[in-house]
Amino acid sequence: MEDRDALLKKKVQRTVEVLPAKELAKLDEVIARYAGKAGHLIPALKDAQEMYGYLPMEVQHRIADGLHVSPSHVYGVVTFYSFFTIMPRGRHTIRLCLGTACYVKGSKEILETIVREVGINVGETSQDGRFTIEAVRCLGACGLAPVMMIGEDTHGNVDPKDTLRIIQAYE
Amino acid sequence: MVTLTIDGVEVTVERGATILEAAQKAGVRIPTLCHDKRLVPFGACRLCMVEVVARGRKRTMPACFNPARDGMEVTTSSPDLIKSRRMQLMLLLRSHPLLCPSCDACGNCRLQDLVHEYEVAEPPFPKEQRYFHIDNDSHFIRFNMNLCVKCGMCVRICDEVQGVNELSFVRRGMENEVSTDFGRPLDCEFCGQCAQICPVGAISSKWLVGTGRQFELRQTNTTCAFCSLGCTLTLGLKSDKVVWVSSPSDSHNEGNLCVKGRYGWPYVYSEKRLSKPLIRKNGRLEEVEWNEALGFVAERLNSIKEAHGGPSLAALGSERLTNEEAYVFNRFVRTVMGTPHLDHAGGYGYAGLVNGIAPALGYPASPNSINELRSARVIVLLGADLTETHPVAKNEVIRALTRYEAQVIVIDSMRTRLSDRADISLLVAPGQEHLIAYAMLKEILDKGLFDKTALALRADGLDELQASLERYTPDKVAAMTGTDPEEIRQAAKAYAEAAGSLLVLTEGMNRGSTQVLCAQAAANLALVTGRIGKPANGICVFPEKTNGQGALDMGLVPNLLPGFRSITDEKARAKFEEAWGAPLPSEPGLNAGQILEKAAAKEIRGLYVVGENPLETYPDRNLVKKALESVEFLVVQDLFLTSTAALAHAVLPVKAFTEKTGTFTSSERLVQRIRPVLKPGAVKSDLEIFTALAALMGQPSMTYSGPEAIMDEIAGLVDVYGGISYRRLAAEGLPWPCVDPEDPGKPLLYEGGFPGGKAKLLPASVPQPAVGDALPMFLIPAVLKFHSGSFSEWSTSLMEVCPEGSAEMNADDARSMGLSDGDSVRVIGADGSWITGKVKISRRALRGAIIVPQHFSALKVNTLTRWNGPAVRVRVEKA
Ligand code: SF4
Ligand code: SF4
Ligand code: SF4
Ligand code: FES
Ligand code: FES
Repeated sequence: MEDRDALLKKKVQRTVEVLPAKELAKLDEVIARYAGKAGHLIPALKDAQEMYGYLPMEVQHRIADGLHVSPSHVYGVVTFYSFFTIMPRGRHTIRLCLGTACYVKGSKEILETIVREVGINVGETSQDGRFTIEAVRCLGACGLAPVMMIGEDTHGNVDPKDTLRIIQAYE
Repeated sequence: MVTLTIDGVEVTVERGATILEAAQKAGVRIPTLCHDKRLVPFGACRLCMVEVVARGRKRTMPACFNPARDGMEVTTSSPDLIKSRRMQLMLLLRSHPLLCPSCDACGNCRLQDLVHEYEVAEPPFPKEQRYFHIDNDSHFIRFNMNLCVKCGMCVRICDEVQGVNELSFVRRGMENEVSTDFGRPLDCEFCGQCAQICPVGAISSKWLVGTGRQFELRQTNTTCAFCSLGCTLTLGLKSDKVVWVSSPSDSHNEGNLCVKGRYGWPYVYSEKRLSKPLIRKNGRLEEVEWNEALGFVAERLNSIKEAHGGPSLAALGSERLTNEEAYVFNRFVRTVMGTPHLDHAGGYGYAGLVNGIAPALGYPASPNSINELRSARVIVLLGADLTETHPVAKNEVIRALTRYEAQVIVIDSMRTRLSDRADISLLVAPGQEHLIAYAMLKEILDKGLFDKTALALRADGLDELQASLERYTPDKVAAMTGTDPEEIRQAAKAYAEAAGSLLVLTEGMNRGSTQVLCAQAAANLALVTGRIGKPANGICVFPEKTNGQGALDMGLVPNLLPGFRSITDEKARAKFEEAWGAPLPSEPGLNAGQILEKAAAKEIRGLYVVGENPLETYPDRNLVKKALESVEFLVVQDLFLTSTAALAHAVLPVKAFTEKTGTFTSSERLVQRIRPVLKPGAVKSDLEIFTALAALMGQPSMTYSGPEAIMDEIAGLVDVYGGISYRRLAAEGLPWPCVDPEDPGKPLLYEGGFPGGKAKLLPASVPQPAVGDALPMFLIPAVLKFHSGSFSEWSTSLMEVCPEGSAEMNADDARSMGLSDGDSVRVIGADGSWITGKVKISRRALRGAIIVPQHFSALKVNTLTRWNGPAVRVRVEKA
């Protein structure tokens, strides 16, 4: 159970790839829209995420600078709302349940398969941009344990041996 | 005032005080886990719940943020309250690892204390373990978020008191933790306030890991030896070694410290400290015994004196000497060496006080105390970058700004952290700050924003002042300085009309010679608007180093005796001649700059330097070097072999502030004790050296049984110290003037009027004629918060955080010169002397200014600075 709990705690990624300066400069429009107004951090972050798909460190820092708030404050807000993400997302988000029932019935093996075969761990996105994997606690479908959601599709009673077959259906 | 009862004890408190504050006054303890008096009440932990009966209704409420009201009956520990506190503690323990035996905070943990007090047993529900990695990546401070109780005090102190906001709560639920963005290492002030306030061990000092726990430490209170705010330090020793520094919450600084006070002390353990005297033999400095060294110094000083007269000798003291040492040094220089030439801090440490504040108000000292800042409605920072120079005073400004919504007006030649948050920020070229103050004054006089009748009773000189201000209308000054005249008018109006207005000035080598004009202008502003002698109104002046005020009080200046009596005042002289049993020079001596000039010209033949490093810190490095190399005999007294000491013929090693007894006088005139906690090696205190030399030089009567006896002598001779004695200083400091043993001292000066009856308005200066073909840029020698003079280079911890300085330039200037971060540049002065540094593009630098810190021997910024220059002109080229 301990290593399960450890998996549920996301690792912090300190470095994110560098956006080209031109890309980053687009942010200044967003900042100009909201600068000098109190309480406009969240809409600014929302606009920025729409632009880039996610909120890497340099985007957050530029917004912090532009709106005169501290970068830790921005990060606190970004990580508070599940709407925001600091990692580029894959085309498909795999939500693997690591709740007790699923864990006992094999989600650990499922995860191990993904780590081995796709090469990504909880919280990471595959190199080809295909998958992002997230661990969740109990999806409320323990009867179907182990449960894995891919995008909107729910896969129940997953036999760990079928893991690869299931995910390969998603391009 | 409201009166209520708490657990049956009747207590009366100010309206607006909380129930918790009332309980403290009544001597009743209410448990808290998220409260600190420096912070806005937060209400996170709910341990302070109390039962209140008011108007016949019983309610339960948190004591920390509910106001006390008339007639309330408060119960702090009923069976119900105890039960619910116990449950709250159990809930906290659910996710708190119970590794107390190995936790560094054991014995200094509010959670542990409460769990013990409330006899909490193993919680009846399963534990939920958190898995945060222990973060050791930051300097000094370690994070172990598995221990966090989410009281929020760290986040709040960093925001509300420090004004830094480096920490936030990030993520949600069980993953929620205190962190920086992306968990990066701290890049902040490193004040350690977050670690100090954490009630558990979640944020702690790295140095304590496995080293010692609170209950094992022997604790002694002393005074910080870096800047002039004089924060109280508690040194914690284990096995006779300092391992931890903090500050008591009931000190005048309320437990606040900056990075230097909390983490800067390791220099006392530096292996580079001198352990034995050195004298130059065959061109090399060699270690000798004390007898030989003292004999050599005495003999050399005596023989120069005999051959060429006392005035062929000169002495430079320091703002780092204790009052007792400064006083005895004064006596030694003027009576034993027999010379009038005595100064310290290059004359820049006190010029504004002596030539600006004193002629206007009376005393060369700050009239107001530091924490009046928080109650002011308008704060004008006149060339005072407190974040860098006096960090704990900056905290007061932040509190005024955020908590009490004061208006802050910044007048400076750089963008500062406070100018970013100011309501009005008037940024000018270096040396122009006082012009803005003139224009504000002009506006106040023209618009009649003052009480003329009252002013006439208070101060003389209005007509001359008015006439001198003709050329300084807001429009004219705005044109001279490139500012907005409307903003100057607004600043004047805000300043004049506020219920409480404080002006803040700093002194020191970085301030150049216009600090005097700033001080005069500040005195005028405060006098005209009737702000002297009232709390939260007036002027705060912060000298640079710890005993800047005391060195002045003790007369380490060319023209003053201890107690600010002029050396030309025959009666004052007679008093000291009698006490000291020797004649005194009757004319003022040379000042620091003149001493060095004359030394370079070989007219001064012997120089005694105590606790200063002129080669690194005084203006005009090349002249200083020439002077130090030209004198026949140079003796330097210091902890380290500074670059000045390396040129000396004799070097005498001294005790650090942790090894000796004495007092420092802070910028708010608070005379405070320092206490010896460490056993020094074979070094002597400055005091022991002065008396030993006096005996060898034929004045055996200059002996004292110790610093305490010296303070008694000072009290007898210096009026404002009249009531000060070590017995009275045992518990806490006393603010001078403190004239007799019953006098509690005066935190606020001039409440009952001015010493001379009336104050004096000083006319504005005549503008400096513009120099013909001036160089295109200004050089600003700057102070950094991690450093203090050249001395902090010996502190390994401070050098770890801030190992080097760069030449900060505005992005536009850098671009137009084709420079980018890290490029080397040459900064060249008018006479062709130059230094090199690495460019850092910085928001702090305005166009046309280059900022170079003054602390680094590698940068040698004083190559370019000059005595008495208002600002330094340079040109910059790619190196
Ligand atoms: S050390 Fe000071 S500035 Fe840095 S995070 Fe802690 S409280 Fe904030
Ligand atoms: S780290 Fe310490 S001070 Fe900060 S919220 Fe946690 S327990 Fe409170
Ligand atoms: S503010 Fe000044 S006196 Fe206070 S701890 Fe820092 S250096 Fe020491
Ligand atoms: S444990 Fe997986 S759905 Fe409940
Ligand atoms: S101390 Fe009052 S709620 Fe924490």
